[in-house]
Amino acid sequence: MLDGDVELLDGLPIAFIKSLNSLVIADPHLGYEGVMAKRGVFLPKINLKNITDMLGMAAKSTGAKAVIVDGDIKNEFSDVDIEEFNELYDFIGFLRGIGVAPTLIKGNHDNFVERYREPFNLRIYGQEALFGSYLFFHGEELPREVGGAQMLVMGHEHPAIGVANEVGRMERLRCFLHGSYEGRELLVMPAINYFAPGTEVNTATRREALSPVLRRADIDGMRAIAIGFGSTIDFGTVGELRKAWRYKR
Amino acid sequence: MIETLEKPFTEQESLGSLNMYVREWFGKNFAELTPPQRFAFKLISESSNVLITAPTGSGKTLSGFLSVISKLFDYALAGKLENKVYCIYISPLRALNNDVYKNLQRPLDGVYEIIKRELGVEVIKRNIRSVSVGIRTGDTTQKERHAQLVKPPNILVTTPESLAIMLNSQKFVENLGSVEYVLVDEIHELANNKRGVHLSLSLERLADIIGRDFVRIGMGATLYPVDEAARFLVGYGHGEPRDCKIVDASWSKRLGVRVVSPVSDMINSDDKKVEDAMYKELDRVIKSGRTTLVFTNTRSGTERVVFNLKRRFKYGEAIAAHHGSLSRESRLEVEDLLKKGSLKCAVSSTSLELGIDIGAIDNVVLLGSPKSVTRSVQRIGRSGHSFRAVAKGEMIVLNRDDLIECAVMLDAALRHRLDSFRVPQNALDVLAQHMVGMSFTKKWRVDEAYELVRHAYPYHDLDRSDFIALLDYLAGNYVGLESRRVYGKIWYDKDSQMFGKRGMYTKVIYMLNLGTIPDEVAVDVINSKTGKWIGSIEEEFLTRLREGDVFTLGGRLYRFERSSSMRCYVADASSSAPTIPPWFSEQLPLSYELANDIGAFRRELSGLVQRHIKDGRIDSIPKRLRVPSAIRTSIKSLPVEDKATNAIFGYFMEQLLFAGVVPNDRLLLVEQTSVGDNPEDRYVVFHSLFGRRVNDALSRLFAIELRERLEHDIGIMVSDNGFVLTIAKGERLSASTLGEIIRDLASGDVADMLRLNIRNTELIKRRFRHVAARSFMILRNYKGWKISVGKQQLNSQLLFKAAEAIDPNFPVIKETYREIFEEVMDLPRAIEVIAKLGSGEIAHRLIDTPVPSPFAHGLVTFGHADVMQMRERRMYLQHLHKLVMKRIGG
Repeated sequence: MLDGDVELLDGLPIAFIKSLNSLVIADPHLGYEGVMAKRGVFLPKINLKNITDMLGMAAKSTGAKAVIVDGDIKNEFSDVDIEEFNELYDFIGFLRGIGVAPTLIKGNHDNFVERYREPFNLRIYGQEALFGSYLFFHGEELPREVGGAQMLVMGHEHPAIGVANEVGRMERLRCFLHGSYEGRELLVMPAINYFAPGTEVNTATRREALSPVLRRADIDGMRAIAIGFGSTIDFGTVGELRKAWRYKR
Repeated sequence: MIETLEKPFTEQESLGSLNMYVREWFGKNFAELTPPQRFAFKLISESSNVLITAPTGSGKTLSGFLSVISKLFDYALAGKLENKVYCIYISPLRALNNDVYKNLQRPLDGVYEIIKRELGVEVIKRNIRSVSVGIRTGDTTQKERHAQLVKPPNILVTTPESLAIMLNSQKFVENLGSVEYVLVDEIHELANNKRGVHLSLSLERLADIIGRDFVRIGMGATLYPVDEAARFLVGYGHGEPRDCKIVDASWSKRLGVRVVSPVSDMINSDDKKVEDAMYKELDRVIKSGRTTLVFTNTRSGTERVVFNLKRRFKYGEAIAAHHGSLSRESRLEVEDLLKKGSLKCAVSSTSLELGIDIGAIDNVVLLGSPKSVTRSVQRIGRSGHSFRAVAKGEMIVLNRDDLIECAVMLDAALRHRLDSFRVPQNALDVLAQHMVGMSFTKKWRVDEAYELVRHAYPYHDLDRSDFIALLDYLAGNYVGLESRRVYGKIWYDKDSQMFGKRGMYTKVIYMLNLGTIPDEVAVDVINSKTGKWIGSIEEEFLTRLREGDVFTLGGRLYRFERSSSMRCYVADASSSAPTIPPWFSEQLPLSYELANDIGAFRRELSGLVQRHIKDGRIDSIPKRLRVPSAIRTSIKSLPVEDKATNAIFGYFMEQLLFAGVVPNDRLLLVEQTSVGDNPEDRYVVFHSLFGRRVNDALSRLFAIELRERLEHDIGIMVSDNGFVLTIAKGERLSASTLGEIIRDLASGDVADMLRLNIRNTELIKRRFRHVAARSFMILRNYKGWKISVGKQQLNSQLLFKAAEAIDPNFPVIKETYREIFEEVMDLPRAIEVIAKLGSGEIAHRLIDTPVPSPFAHGLVTFGHADVMQMRERRMYLQHLHKLVMKRIGG
């Protein structure tokens, strides 16, 4: 879907960057079900297993030795819940088992996660990190130092598109967004969390975008590359999708 | 053994079974025993389980209570009456609880007065106390509850939900140890739904806690089969229904009923004339008696009728509306005015059908069909001052389908043929709740708990594997070991086969979330293009919408597109015909039995009419449509007046002349047609008379099959007398394809087809929320915070997705499908019908018509149907009728 160095793995919300030999994911929100259960919604646990299954497949097919988590590895703002700790522990254990080293770019949900740097041997970057020509940041705030980067990679938005099937029912498909921001390539990662339904970028207005980056960027000029039913398909620009279903900007 | 008693006891035998002071009080207050009392006094004094069905005003409550009161005064006189609960009275209606509480004071005070007078100072010497009554519902204050704990009332009046809470209050349970009698009132309101299922488990748990059974007394209005209600009341012991004596006094009040058509030509009379005639007839009935009760079926209809009666006849404050959307206060006020006799007329949707005492009613008028024989009998039974009076009822109908339906219905009522109900079987969500409740009282052996559960009739053949699956679910075995602390509501040890309570907080969750009635709200309707708010619809109505359905809101037409948790998105659909009437979710579906009766009537009458038709021409009938005498006699055997006879005859004749065939109970007629002015739409009309719940399932199944063959989408309209599939222009259903479809359905797994078909619908999304809430998988109240319905809905959608990924047979999902298949639809009977179609026991026939045949008119205009607002539908009907008449040269 993208040229050259970045490969979007078919049917998965995962990108592979060859020059870094690294996978990229965003917004796993580990521990989500456990935290919801404590609020009275007893969601069966399915998210972690779903993520590790996908990462296992991705690592095997690409031979990647690292994974960059582009923010929001966990869900709670106020603390690290025991449910989150357990899943974090299992997640990192799994990666170690398949020989993939994790790096975390902190997201807005990742408070207090530093205390696990030592025991888990986790690389953590506070705001943003430049690896090679790629600047990784979560997306809740604008990136600070875009100077050395050719491509910006962010999460946070949980982008999706709404497409109507022939009888008028909307299907929501999570998607990558690919476009530009301040003269550089911009890649917005879909959420890898099982439960995140995503924000429909083609039916919502620009003001409704979560990330200040997308409120500034030319969102209608971005291409939506959707994932669903086992494959990854380029749906064209958000603007075209918006027009096709006549939603106001 | 369950046994229906035929012969009442004598007055001596009945009164002889009572305490002498109670007998004296009864003699002073009543001239004679009512029919149910002639059975019940003696039976209850002999400690038999008794189910009493009788109409209102037949002394039903006293027939259940007096022997109990008598026994308790025996105790009092012997100085044995302690501060303990001896009798629990349970009713589903809080309002009724207050009535009963007040009404019990009268006999209790009366009897005690007599005792005081007769025994004088002995009363003090021997410390003879009166029998006490207490009430405990959701409205009871903490202070009153505490007082009841210290000094429990001898007779406790309560609701099913409050009983369930009491069972889990360790302290209060001690007061229930001496319960001898349990009375369940309004059993017809409980036996057919999950509230009743919940209660049946509570009763078995109560029996288990006190270590013995108690006398069970059930009371209710007419219902059928009475045996089913009796099994529900008494439950099972040793694999058999426990003993119960049935006292069926349902028919002790005579019925005086008839169907009235306000005009003789129901097709060509103009709107205003029909409306005027209808209100005139209503006015006549109202003026002829002191108090009249009118039922309209829908809330909007109620408001319109009240408005019109006030405007046309200056009734002023002597007339009032009563329906579910009015505030509690205004409803109570109307009930109060009725009791006092100061209202001339009350108009109700369905809300005054049953329950609370509303005083003496002279006449009952039903506007439009109540759709079930049982219901019509219950409504009409509201009239007549005493059991000796005749219950007078009139049904006013405005179209020919309604006319036939109501005539057959009243005929069935006069023959005492009711439609049947079923107690929901093996509802896993209600059981889950009780298993959590049970875990608080002790540690259970799995076998012992399973046995207890099977004592309740709704679970008497519960599969052990389902019980185990629920234990696994409740123990949180669907998540890893370390999270069960949070997810698990019980602990369950597979090795020792034991389970019990888990955690401190579970009990609070249980108490705050107990019950079976789902939270519901209105859903906003939004124009998807403009984002503008249009209005709101009931959530239940939303579950009835399928993609592409067109409905009216605020007088305009909209096409349903999609929905989010609390919003429904629509587009303008001004050029389309509505496919679903706005009251669809409000009005009760036509019952299976009644539909069958209508089918049989159609078959018999069309046979008679057929003889007068030769070569598509009317033979031997004068032009002025005089009804031949054999046919007149046949129609007049139904309770209809003259004008209606002509209308019925005309209807059948037109159908036979036009289509050559009248669909009936042994012939599924499938009619392929289009509507003259809109030839784009092709209609395939299935004249399937099996009741709406069966049609709901059938229509989906036929649509699935047809869609596969035509490879494009198909619109569906379901109604009581059939269903209509719309196909695209140029498409055609051939007789051989129809036969093939029927063969495929008869040999296929239709339950599986339906499961796939409804998987993505609003219906399953909403019902899943209800079931998940009852199963404590999502909480409605958490740590004292009410969780909004929108939030619940959002969460339950995530939940469904995840649960399905784990196991498509997850108990909560399994129960959702069961509820939809057996309670929303009637899949078991739909399967029966399909089998009969397959074997040819029910024949099928495909015909092509240039315009819809007369019997199809009601089906293709169903979306327009609104009982009181007929203008558009009438015009459309007249149009269709003209097209038909042109072709048959009428």
